[in-house]
Amino acid sequence: MATTTPKPGELLRGTLELLVLRTLLPGPCQGHAIAKHIQRTSEDLLKIETGSLYPALYRLEANGLIAAAWATTDKGKRARHYRLTAKGRRQLVGERSKWEAFVRAVRLLLDSAEETR
Amino acid sequence: MTTWMRRIAWWLNRRSREETLRAELQFHLEEEAREQHEAGMTDAAWAARRDLGNVTLLREETRTLWTWTLLEQLIQDVRFAARTMWRSRTVTVVVALTLALGIGANTAIYSFMNAILLGALPVPDPASLVVVKWHAKRVDFRQPTPESAFVLHSIDGQVYDEGQGSVSRIWPFPAFERLQQAAAPMMASFFAYHPAGRLNLLASGEADVAQGEYVSGTYFEGLRVTLAAGRPIGSEDDRVGAPPVVVLSSGYANRRFGGAATAVGQSLQINNRPFTIVGVAPVEFYGVDPSVAPDVYLPLHIGDVSPDPNYYWLEMMGRLRPGVDAARAQAVLSTAFDPWVAGTATTASERANLPRLRLDSGAGGLDTLRRRYSQPIYVLISMVALILAIACANTANLLLARATLRRREMAVRLSIGAGRMRVLRQLLTESVCLACVGGVLSIPVAFASMRVLSALVVNGRESFTLHAELDWHVLMVTLGLSVACGLLFGLAPALQSVRPSVMPALKDVGSATFSRAPRLGMARISLTQLLLVLQIAVSLVLLVAAGLFLRTLANLHSIELGFNAERLLLMDVNASQAGHAPDQIAAFYANLRRRLAAVPGATGVTLSHASLIRAGRSLNIFVNGKQAQGERVLTVGPDFFTTMGVPLLQGRPVDERDVPGRPTVAVVSQLFEETFFGGEPAIGHHLALELPTRVDAGLPAGSQRIDIEIVGVAATARYGDLRDRTPPVVYLPYGQITFPPITQMTFALRAASDPVSLVPAVRRVVQDADPKMPMTNVRTQEVEIDRTINQEILFARLCTAFALLALLIACVGLYGTMAYSVARRTNEIGLRMALGASTAGVGWMVLREVCVLAAIGTAFSVPAALAASRFVQEFLFGVESTDPWTFGAAVVVLTVAALVAGVGPAQRASRINPMTALRAE
Repeated sequence: MATTTPKPGELLRGTLELLVLRTLLPGPCQGHAIAKHIQRTSEDLLKIETGSLYPALYRLEANGLIAAAWATTDKGKRARHYRLTAKGRRQLVGERSKWEAFVRAVRLLLDSAEETR
Repeated sequence: MTTWMRRIAWWLNRRSREETLRAELQFHLEEEAREQHEAGMTDAAWAARRDLGNVTLLREETRTLWTWTLLEQLIQDVRFAARTMWRSRTVTVVVALTLALGIGANTAIYSFMNAILLGALPVPDPASLVVVKWHAKRVDFRQPTPESAFVLHSIDGQVYDEGQGSVSRIWPFPAFERLQQAAAPMMASFFAYHPAGRLNLLASGEADVAQGEYVSGTYFEGLRVTLAAGRPIGSEDDRVGAPPVVVLSSGYANRRFGGAATAVGQSLQINNRPFTIVGVAPVEFYGVDPSVAPDVYLPLHIGDVSPDPNYYWLEMMGRLRPGVDAARAQAVLSTAFDPWVAGTATTASERANLPRLRLDSGAGGLDTLRRRYSQPIYVLISMVALILAIACANTANLLLARATLRRREMAVRLSIGAGRMRVLRQLLTESVCLACVGGVLSIPVAFASMRVLSALVVNGRESFTLHAELDWHVLMVTLGLSVACGLLFGLAPALQSVRPSVMPALKDVGSATFSRAPRLGMARISLTQLLLVLQIAVSLVLLVAAGLFLRTLANLHSIELGFNAERLLLMDVNASQAGHAPDQIAAFYANLRRRLAAVPGATGVTLSHASLIRAGRSLNIFVNGKQAQGERVLTVGPDFFTTMGVPLLQGRPVDERDVPGRPTVAVVSQLFEETFFGGEPAIGHHLALELPTRVDAGLPAGSQRIDIEIVGVAATARYGDLRDRTPPVVYLPYGQITFPPITQMTFALRAASDPVSLVPAVRRVVQDADPKMPMTNVRTQEVEIDRTINQEILFARLCTAFALLALLIACVGLYGTMAYSVARRTNEIGLRMALGASTAGVGWMVLREVCVLAAIGTAFSVPAALAASRFVQEFLFGVESTDPWTFGAAVVVLTVAALVAGVGPAQRASRINPMTALRAE
């Protein structure tokens, strides 16, 4: 069976949604800025494929986790701004704890491997 | 729930959402370009676009969120199917038409079946109705023997053969009185009725004939009929001495009185007796027998209610109380009936075969129609089902051929990433669309065929109310059938289309290649050939059926009548119903005959108690002291033999001298002479006729013997049903026979030219003689004969039509498949010709394939047809179901048709230019 090794910067499935929700936590933001924010905050380790960002945004919107509205940017252009809904907020909390549990589990495994050797 | 709502909202807003996405991506690109420009990249817009990836794919992916893709793809598929259908119009038209014909014929026949076999009476809660019947060991009233003695001594109604026994719905009146009491705890109501036959109705100075029904006072209440106007006949109307009242049918009230409301309260005369109309039945109500719809309902006690316990005539129905099942009610009624009927038996042998009571479901009314038509309908249903099978096979074949032509298209689709399921769905959508077009077209076809069928079935029968309508159930069944057909015949080609590996099909440029096509085609060819063989086999079965029925019809038409049926006009009149006194009727008819003889264009006029074809009367006649068996009687007027064209062999005919008061005479048929005198001359011999002297309250009181001298012998002529054996006949002067009393007579006029042209003059004469006496059932002798063989005519016509239809569909299929096969094998044929095959040889190669297919189809079909034709044996006359001539003719017709279908493709094959064909490679 062929295995695909994730290249650096590629995201685990489902993680993008979590990151988008987290990015929107402080306040509304438009699509391009979301991508840039994730990229910058991760010190360019995570590069968001635009081709997956928008489907993810629309998926989140369709599921009622975020809401969108047209607004003018600080440069005076019209752009679609996304904000977290109450449901999205709950989702973020839930996903976040899941993610932390996952990270902890992975780390435990990796560390224990070191010890037994 | 909310998710669904949101999804619907998403879908409804999909247009504006698409615009949003476009604008948003636009904004994204600009932003990106600006940033990269600031970062010093050249050609920033392109880089941004590259970074974004495939914009269309992105849109697609975003769109799949909108979950209604299935629906959108379906719409796409349907649109594409419409375009494909338009592009190959010929295939579409052929397929749609064959399906429309197949489905239309099925719908029409199914509607008839629905109306006849499954229809319920239009009254509330028909399921609780029961018909009271009796059954007994087989009773033969035509050839009575001492062993077959039965408590039934005289009869007015029908006794049916059922299995090994006899069954009937008719009862003596005392049985009704008794059972009505016994039924009370089990049944909410119990009622009786009896057809009154054709009655003379006189209202506002105008006379006509209407169908009557005697009903007991509980009839309307028991059926729970809500009248359109007025009140029903009640128990207070149904007793001796009650004021005479009637209820009219809606149709009759509209025809004669201009509406239900206006009819109520009016008076009319029935058989010269005044009646008051008290009510009008609702439009949909047609009595309890779907085969005869009464125009007037009269109280039972208006007619003669015979107390004779051995006279069977009255029919009975009941409505079970809620929660009572028929078996329990039957047991209760039987305990009341059995001792009573045992008391009516007069001899030991009658006691040995007593009728036993039985309750049948009355939900569908009486089963007269079902008895008559259920078998013919099953035969017709099987035939149209076969036609539909052929149509489906044909369609599958054409689609199969087209699917192979589209193999490249499918390969291209698969190779650029279409999912197999997606392609399969597309193909199935196409065939279902095709089937739906066929289904929609079949609706007018069904309407047309039902109209034709109704006309054929009703043909000449008066007051025949068949309520066959194209109802919605039938329509749904049809549409379901067409979609099922679509899936069925769409599946095989569709599976085949997506199966081939992509590469060879892609490399295959247009026409077939040698190396691949035959091997790839193997499965398809055999499937195609299988379907063709099936079509040919089914066509042959239908051809055989058509041949058998056509021969039956020809046999019936060529029956030796023994009289001249040409240019003969017949009509019925009933002077007794118009109020003529019994002792004056004979003189009135004699006078009318003389007046009719004066009509210009009439070369002869006579009368008889019934026409030869419809007659069926027997009296107690003794030859040399022994009662004659199987003889029949016809009472006739003067000029009978000359007018009917029956040659008189010896002696004199019945003429003007033979009136009451003079010695009674008779003319016998030659068959009678042979049967009862063993070849000795019958002239001069005497017959004895035993007649009841008078009828007292329905009971014959005493009898007398009349001496009759045979004065003439006539050639044997047909008497009664064409299909029955001609009986020995005694012709008696109608005026000299006092029993049964003279009522209706049939006049026959021989015309010099077209008999129908005499009708106006004849009508004037009859009206002149008595304006209260309507002339009814005016017909020519030929039409009357055709009516008696109505079913055979219907079968012959329908079967011929079905067989031709099947043959046509099969030939179209054969032609289409062969033409396609020739087109596909262009290269091969070109190569053969380049290597020296002759034009004729190539043509023969194609025809040979047709012949082989036809031969295989025939080989399968002949045994099947032999087995199937047994089921129609009872509808045949003068021809065996295994008639070798019919089978031979069917095979010849089929072979010729197959060859005709193969000639076109064969010619095309022989015209292939080797150079062109090979260059195409």
